[in-house]
Amino acid sequence: MTTAIEMRNIRKYFASSSTLALDQVNFEVQPGEVHALVGENGAGKTTLMNVLYGLVSPDEGEILVQGKPVQISHPDHAIQQGIGMVHQHFKLVPSFTIAENIMLGVEPNQFGVLNSSTEAEAVRKLAADYGLPVDPNKRIQDVSVGIQQRVEILKSLQRDARVLILDEPTAVLTPQEVRELYVVIRRLAESGRSVILITHKLLEVKEVADRLTVMRRGKVVGTDDVANVSVRDIANMMVGRQVILTVPRTPAEPGETVLEVENLLVADNKGLPAVMGASLQLRKGEILGIAGISGNGQTELVEAIAGTRPIDGGDVRLLGESLVGKTVRQRRDVGMAHIPEDRMTSGLNMTTTLDENVVVTSYDREPYSKGGYLQFDAIRQLAQQIAKTFHIKSAAAGGNVRTLSGGNLQKIVLGRELEGDPALIIANQPTRGVDVGSIEFVHKTLVDVRDHGAAILLISVELDEILALSDRVAVMYEGRIVATLDMDEVNEEKLGLLMAGSSLPQDDALAYEEMN
Amino acid sequence: MKRLQDMIETLSIPVFATLLGLLVGSIFVWLAGVQPLQTYTSLFCEGFGPTGCDSLTDLIVVDITDEDTGETTYHFAPTYGEKGHPLGLALERATPLILAALSATVAFKAGMFSIGMDGQFALGALVAAFLGYWLPQQIYGLAGVVDPDEASEALQLVMRLSIPAIIISLAAAAGAFYSWIAGYLKVKLNVNELISTIILNAIAVQFVTFMLNGPLRADMNNVARTERIDDTAWLMPFNRAFLNDVDWFNGARLGIGIFIALVAAILLWVYIWRTTSGYEQRMTQGSSLFARFGGIPTDRAIIRAMLISGALSGIAGAIQILGVERRMVDGFVLSGTGFDGVLVAVLARESVVAIFFVAVLYSGLQLGAINLQFGNIPRQLGGMIIALIILFTSMEDYFRSLITRFRLRVFGVDQIVNDDDNSDGTEEVQHA
Repeated sequence: MTTAIEMRNIRKYFASSSTLALDQVNFEVQPGEVHALVGENGAGKTTLMNVLYGLVSPDEGEILVQGKPVQISHPDHAIQQGIGMVHQHFKLVPSFTIAENIMLGVEPNQFGVLNSSTEAEAVRKLAADYGLPVDPNKRIQDVSVGIQQRVEILKSLQRDARVLILDEPTAVLTPQEVRELYVVIRRLAESGRSVILITHKLLEVKEVADRLTVMRRGKVVGTDDVANVSVRDIANMMVGRQVILTVPRTPAEPGETVLEVENLLVADNKGLPAVMGASLQLRKGEILGIAGISGNGQTELVEAIAGTRPIDGGDVRLLGESLVGKTVRQRRDVGMAHIPEDRMTSGLNMTTTLDENVVVTSYDREPYSKGGYLQFDAIRQLAQQIAKTFHIKSAAAGGNVRTLSGGNLQKIVLGRELEGDPALIIANQPTRGVDVGSIEFVHKTLVDVRDHGAAILLISVELDEILALSDRVAVMYEGRIVATLDMDEVNEEKLGLLMAGSSLPQDDALAYEEMN
Repeated sequence: MKRLQDMIETLSIPVFATLLGLLVGSIFVWLAGVQPLQTYTSLFCEGFGPTGCDSLTDLIVVDITDEDTGETTYHFAPTYGEKGHPLGLALERATPLILAALSATVAFKAGMFSIGMDGQFALGALVAAFLGYWLPQQIYGLAGVVDPDEASEALQLVMRLSIPAIIISLAAAAGAFYSWIAGYLKVKLNVNELISTIILNAIAVQFVTFMLNGPLRADMNNVARTERIDDTAWLMPFNRAFLNDVDWFNGARLGIGIFIALVAAILLWVYIWRTTSGYEQRMTQGSSLFARFGGIPTDRAIIRAMLISGALSGIAGAIQILGVERRMVDGFVLSGTGFDGVLVAVLARESVVAIFFVAVLYSGLQLGAINLQFGNIPRQLGGMIIALIILFTSMEDYFRSLITRFRLRVFGVDQIVNDDDNSDGTEEVQHA
């Protein structure tokens, strides 16, 4: 049996960040298998798949499809070779129907005139063939993320993909949707297709993949049958050392209330209500996790508390003091710290040095400035102290922070925000895009500061993270806190249902009804 | 090692771009029926060379043959100033350009791509042209002096010292106010500064033209102009005041303005890189979200940057009137000095130090281009060559990737990776 895909000695050097993203990578996929490609962020998984899909051209190496060497320098070539890719961010037209999106570019037409009923019929047939029920006439903007992903998969199948690349497919799904996706993936593999699953979730690999390839820093560490390795083995291969997967922690000893949010109303960027009467309380010495699928108002909630988005109604009190109308600086003075969601744009200034990044919260105070002039020695000292406490590789002393890894960058943010023992720490996606080793460090640090009496508001789309760290969990759905649960009454199933807002995602239910 | 390599790379790119611009330009020169080498020689000689410059080597060492004795002497070209030196003219042109470029830079350094320098420059110039004539009149009137020539020397001295300072301050205020409008619109209503400053420029040009042709028109000269400013408001050029016997300055109206520009540059550098206010606006430029999340009042930083920016352009306009033109003539507002300043700022990559070099180079090339026409070479060619050089300089990123690709091919991936060994991807620090 010929291999479906073989990549030999692929190398890719990125001059802009001076990194060797891929170094002599060999990778092969058999027909009919689910092959997981795992590794930390920045390990080169996505780059490797972008090479295969023609989005990145390699400096060296060759690609063989069905045993024949091919040149893939554009996604069109990849599609011709039967390679399809579903990106992390879907590439769909929101105002088009599902059928229109699937048939985009290959529309059935007569003398140049579109025939939408044939189109819908073709999609219905395609969906039935693969057991992926969708309603062809619904618009993309009206269906759930799970269905959108299904449309992306169908789009690739319509173009006769023999090899399907899924880039972090479960990141945006509820636990229920994830399970459905697994079924779909297995079914595709049984039909003789190959599925390449890019992921950093280890349990996912165990559950759905046949074989796996682990990458670390641009190199392949190993390829093996999933049955032969444990989750711990995979984690150690990814990081290159022993990793502690669970966070050691004692039960919380909550004290008095630190943060009170009451009937909060906040609008999103379009001026539409995003937070609609959310209320919560957070006590000293506890971690309150906010679970929810992205886009249910978490971002707006955080920004309203942090002071970068106006509060339209309700009240936020920190240590008894109302924050309404206060500037970010005033809130920080009361005792707030904020680890923003996106460290690249909000957490750090990637165009400048470590020093200037750590002093942003205190640059106008002594000893960091005197009489309106910055005191560079004092700032340097602060930076070095934070670098030391938080094990930040500060090879970039005086240099740009841009060259540091995601984990190191997040430690800079963490170090800066924890400076001066804040009463409240808002940690929004504190480990997004961070390697396993740094995740461990971030989690341990957060538990540490909790034990020292800080109140932590943890927002994360990673359910595992919420479950691992929180003392209580609040679930956010469509701008409201729909439930607040103590840890002992929480399980993944229950959270998943609450996050989806009902017992079953509605779109799926409807789609099933119409199919049958 | 790595740093040296970086430096060579950074320096070689503008040089490479200039050469490429000249090379591509020579095609057009050749099409126009002129010798490219001859054109470039004239371009640089007219812009930077001393009297008698007729080859590219004359830009460094010039040989002068005495007609009477037949003796040949050699001189270091930049300091050889008989009959005046074109560099003096280049510096005269560069003065407002430097200020306008600083003005653009301070706005850019707050993340505001303001190109309102033209409008602020025009308003500053208008204020100077009006006050330079009107203010001394009022003072003479108050002092009871009928004929200015008969005013007491003490009064003259006080006026000479104070009036230019007052006028420049007021012109700065006018520019600052005009620039503030764009900053306010951005902060309060999120109006794109690029669009608002373009519109504000158009309004300023119309307003100044109207004032010039209407209320401030001095006489029935066929080109509208204001009254000449009073001598007490005049920022006297070097060759009219204390350096009148130095040949080098002959023919150039270069004066105190260049020092004002120098001082402004130093102050601006300190402001941007050393003060907390400068830090605030630099962080706003780097990432405004980062600045806001960190607690920096970004709105204030933007407004402050726009005020400083406008003031600098206003000063540029005032200096051009008080030091060079001495009155405003119709067409002055269309000179494009403000916009050239934006170009200089972009070419200098927002570096306060580089602005000086780029501005002088730019002015010299412009001067050379204007003078080309006296040698039967169309002057448009000069403008085109300048444009080509700018175009190629802006392709920096492309050149950089070319260099990397070249290095990859020559040395192979391994060599490069070892050279560029960066802090990323190294072993994570172990922690218990």
